[in-house]
Amino acid sequence: MAESDVLLEMKDISKSFPGVKALDHAQLTVHRGTVHALMGENGAGKSTLMKCLFGIYYKDEGSVLLEGKEVNFKSSKEAMENGVAMVHQELNQALKRSVMDNLWLGRYPLTGGIMVNEKKMLEDTNAIFEELKIDVDPHQKMSELPVSKRQMVEIAKAVSYNSKIIVFDEPTSSLTEQEVEHLFWIIDMLRDRGCGIIYISHKMAEILRISDEVTVMRDGQWIATKPAAELDNNALIKLMVGRELSNQFPPKTNKPGEVLLEVEGLTGQYNQLKDVSFNARKGEIVGLAGLDGSGRTETLESIFGIATRHSGTIKLEGKEVSNKNSRQSLKAGFALLTEERRATGIFGIRDIKDNTVISSLKRHLKHGMWLSEASMRKDTQWGIDTLKTKTPSQETKIRALSGGNQQKVIFARWLLTDPKVLLLDEPTRGIDVGAKYEIYQLIIDQANAGTTVVMVSSEMAELLGVCDRIIVMSGGRVAGEVNASTTTQEEILTLAAKYV
Amino acid sequence: MKKILALILALAMVFCLAACGGSSDDGGSSSSGTSSGSSTSEAESSTGSDSEDEGGDSGEATEGGDVDYSDLNVGIFWYSFSDTFLSTVRASLDDLLDEAGITYTDYDGNGSQTTQNESITTALTNGCNLLLVNLVESGSEDAAQSIIEEAAGYGVNVIFYNRTIEADGNEGALLNAYDNVGFLGTDAPEAGHIQGQMIGEYLVANYDSLDLNGDGVISYAMMKGQEGNAEAIYRTQYGVEDANAVLVEAGYPELEYFDSSNTALYQVDANGAWSASAATEFMQTNLSQYSEANGNMIELVICNNDDMAAGVVTALQAAGYNNGEGTTTIPVFGVDATDTAKELIANGYMTGTVSQSNTGYAYGLKFMIDQLASGATPTEAAAALAEDTSDYTFTLAEDIACKVYMAYSSYTGE
Amino acid sequence: MNNPVKSLRQTSERYKAMDGKDRRGFIVDTVLNNAIYIILIVFVIFTYTRNPNIVSGSSIINIISLTAANLPMALGIGGCIVLTGTDLSAGRTVGLTAAISATLLQSLTTTNKFYDNLGEVPLLLVLLIALLVGGLVGLVNGFFVARFQLHPFIVTLATQLIVYGICLLYYMSHDNNGQSISGLSDTYKNAITGSVISKLTGGALVIPNYVIYAVIVLLIMWFIWNKTTFGKNMFAVGSNAEAANVSGVNVFFTTMMVHTLAGITYGYTGFIEAARIGSNTANTGLNYESDAIAACVIGGVSFVGGTGTIGGVVLGVFLLRIIFVGLNFLSVSGNMQYIIKGAIILLACSIDMRKYLTRK
Repeated sequence: MAESDVLLEMKDISKSFPGVKALDHAQLTVHRGTVHALMGENGAGKSTLMKCLFGIYYKDEGSVLLEGKEVNFKSSKEAMENGVAMVHQELNQALKRSVMDNLWLGRYPLTGGIMVNEKKMLEDTNAIFEELKIDVDPHQKMSELPVSKRQMVEIAKAVSYNSKIIVFDEPTSSLTEQEVEHLFWIIDMLRDRGCGIIYISHKMAEILRISDEVTVMRDGQWIATKPAAELDNNALIKLMVGRELSNQFPPKTNKPGEVLLEVEGLTGQYNQLKDVSFNARKGEIVGLAGLDGSGRTETLESIFGIATRHSGTIKLEGKEVSNKNSRQSLKAGFALLTEERRATGIFGIRDIKDNTVISSLKRHLKHGMWLSEASMRKDTQWGIDTLKTKTPSQETKIRALSGGNQQKVIFARWLLTDPKVLLLDEPTRGIDVGAKYEIYQLIIDQANAGTTVVMVSSEMAELLGVCDRIIVMSGGRVAGEVNASTTTQEEILTLAAKYV
Repeated sequence: MKKILALILALAMVFCLAACGGSSDDGGSSSSGTSSGSSTSEAESSTGSDSEDEGGDSGEATEGGDVDYSDLNVGIFWYSFSDTFLSTVRASLDDLLDEAGITYTDYDGNGSQTTQNESITTALTNGCNLLLVNLVESGSEDAAQSIIEEAAGYGVNVIFYNRTIEADGNEGALLNAYDNVGFLGTDAPEAGHIQGQMIGEYLVANYDSLDLNGDGVISYAMMKGQEGNAEAIYRTQYGVEDANAVLVEAGYPELEYFDSSNTALYQVDANGAWSASAATEFMQTNLSQYSEANGNMIELVICNNDDMAAGVVTALQAAGYNNGEGTTTIPVFGVDATDTAKELIANGYMTGTVSQSNTGYAYGLKFMIDQLASGATPTEAAAALAEDTSDYTFTLAEDIACKVYMAYSSYTGE
Repeated sequence: MNNPVKSLRQTSERYKAMDGKDRRGFIVDTVLNNAIYIILIVFVIFTYTRNPNIVSGSSIINIISLTAANLPMALGIGGCIVLTGTDLSAGRTVGLTAAISATLLQSLTTTNKFYDNLGEVPLLLVLLIALLVGGLVGLVNGFFVARFQLHPFIVTLATQLIVYGICLLYYMSHDNNGQSISGLSDTYKNAITGSVISKLTGGALVIPNYVIYAVIVLLIMWFIWNKTTFGKNMFAVGSNAEAANVSGVNVFFTTMMVHTLAGITYGYTGFIEAARIGSNTANTGLNYESDAIAACVIGGVSFVGGTGTIGGVVLGVFLLRIIFVGLNFLSVSGNMQYIIKGAIILLACSIDMRKYLTRK
């Protein structure tokens, strides 16, 4: 490719935090009209590199050239005004405001220099939505939209700045397959216009499909930049982890026993769940598949008692359990790993130890009075060792860990309650490949130990690779049940669309 | 259903409370009128007065006997329900009004002039036809003027009491300018003068035993109740100045503030609440550095009110002083003559206070209400009160015909 | 607790391994992270150069006494702040419980007895009543906060008014007509403001008894915060109530109990305060909560929620008291005291908040 085609060039970028070298002479070159994938395990420095580009972090060394000219953005707003936009993984939106307000936040079209021109704002919004085929009411409140729609709004915002460079950070993690297709269609369109797309993702199939070039990072360093056509799964993994990963999924060794959990006629009081029934055996891994909003999360929440049930019964080992709230469920032997790790999983400001022991404090109670520090430390250490959590100490604040390690801490929290039924909602979301494999192994180990696992995931491959049976949900109902070893992605997708 | 029931119960409770609260304040029997002084019945005053009111004939009937209160609706506005002395005035006055069957309502200004103004507006629109106002911002002419004018708009008389409404040196600016206003209070500086005089005399009589370190000078501490309050300013000033005058006359040196680097010469309650707790903490802190052992003990404490004096006594007692027989007593002086102070004085823990009579206040206010209800103007009512010869002494202020002073007296025990 | 010597050595080794720029950053961080101690020390040294009495024995005892008087309430409010809440009803609750304690424990010979025919009431019974009344106010606060998800600011603003109203009614009742309550029994006064330590040390250390009680309260609160399931749950709820609910923590109960516990500390403070001040009016306790809240925040109990230590609260109360005493020793006027106190609170909190900001 010709030199003039270079849109963005980041050279020798270094960035240190106290005690950590987050970026070590990293580099990235993006050409006009291409999709450039940025890959690497969590903590490899992808996000830090992007934050340096957008002025969220100040780089210690190196230079950034946009169309040959050196730039040094002080904020993401400045970057956006210069044609560099980002669609964030963690959506930071004004949830109480309308879609339209969010889209034009900070640059409202004005009448007479003071009044916000609502009419122009609406017209412009509609124009962009039409162009991108986004089906969202501009007047709707942001909080009323599902995550996938909110992400589309974020993409529309990036496009509305007439950006030359658009960075997508894990854009598909909360999207269904259909929505992913839509996203790819948008990306293709942007590429054809001559934009440079930086695409950050863990999903190798996606990357190989959509990108033109791939840059792999590891430990804050640049490892390689190659045309996507020359790469395959294994080659990518090898570059990312620095070793070969023979298999994406650990061997399935669990043997389902007799029926342990029976769910009958589960109907939600405040959600769309309708007459959901299924059962799961001891030592079985049951997957819950379906599109976004099909009621998978709600099913888990209803079983665990944090979403109110209208009717329906839950039986454990043949005996009905009431599970009216999380405490009852916990006592009955249920555990729930939630989807939104930051919102409902971690206690960010507390340390690893507190995060680990919070659900099993009873174990550490001495004489029914005080908590034994030694016993809590022992359990925490067990969690760290068993799950191979990477943390400097038990006293480290959990928010200082990477997503995968946070997930392991929460996993440990639940394993310490000795659950009979483990409910997992998107257990590998936002986790890098190496850590994913470990989480899969953990799930299978649990099943081996006789725990029943019910697992929700949007990654079809994951369900097929880990589960024994898959319940497909659609529109709040059970659309069908398939055997994981014999079914196909097509069959699941057909079922998922049944009640839409 | 449960929720609706709960809501109904809650509402019922609120209304019940409101009803109870209302009835307990409501000593009166009849609905309110809208104009003041409209009564045509005979003007009454207590025995011996010979008021000559336009609104009625003077009579010899006993107080409150024949005055027609049926149209009267009195609003009484207190600067704060939590003030100890004024609470006793309120209780006495409420008793008198209940007895006479007068319709009245007590309002709590809660230490905020804004709250008080809003209460007054509400009361006026609600048919209140006589205002008794204990101004929150003592000495604030603007605050008083807006109240007077608002009342005048309704043709309603305003009697201010207890707290001055005019700034120092500007007396008469309001009271002489309006017809619908009167004042019953104490001469703000007087309490300070009496306190100072009392202190001076006490010191002269016991000088050598009080001068603990024998340096010939009495060092004193001063507890001020509130910044920017006229009473507090006068008391802080004259309590010392007058004492000095007495001392100098008797050939002794003037008082010396215990902390030579404090140029303010007082310690003030940061919350402006004239509180015992502030005084205790100040005194406790003072005593941690000034003691007999260091030869710089505080030999006299002057307080703006009795609550603060009681707080100081507590701190002194904790440090081993003022515990009666066998302990050194540091003289502590207050103002108000509250029951607490009287008891402390009786026990010898405190030395003196300045008395203003709560029942005297209540009596004076009721007297003026009677006069006004009988059709007298505030000035006439004031004149009548000044000539009253009951147990209490009332005098007219110089040059201000509608301003009555109630006398203070020193109190050093029964 | 880590071995301090070991950790110091580790720190010094880390420091040696750094280059010039990192070292500068390290020093700045260390200074800012210990800013409260530094402010404290600088303030004391400054005061000392102007007035050496600040470090005299009696002055130190005075500072400790004042800290002890203010500490229990701050510990109670600290719990509310850990839950990202606050408590404005604290001062008025102290006022009410002080009134109750004082009226029940007047000397039999006092001339202004509130309950005319009341005999001697056992101290512990009165303490229990004070704790119960305080706890009840807290329970009401906690119930409305937990049940209706109301912000504690608004709930306690409301209860504060109600408690004050009850307090005023109480003072007007029994023909007391708002008079201050004093003439407390000697047993009561001696139990609170007397000094057992003084007797034991032959008068060398006149530390009032309420300091000992405050230490006991401190130990109990430390135990509750650090060693009980309730304490762990409290931090979990404060840190992330949603996650706590999922993790099997009873958020409703925890919230309610944190406020109740806070109420109990106000009841305790009222019981102590009545005897400490000796003369009680409806204004007793006025604005106490503002100092207590400030002390907590200075001590690192952040409104971010889920974070704070007992030691921090003690430090915060201590700092505020030192400032109060120091400014008096420096003979600073009341007007300037406001400004200096405000500035120190602002400074201390800004520095503390630095820890929670995202670093660039």
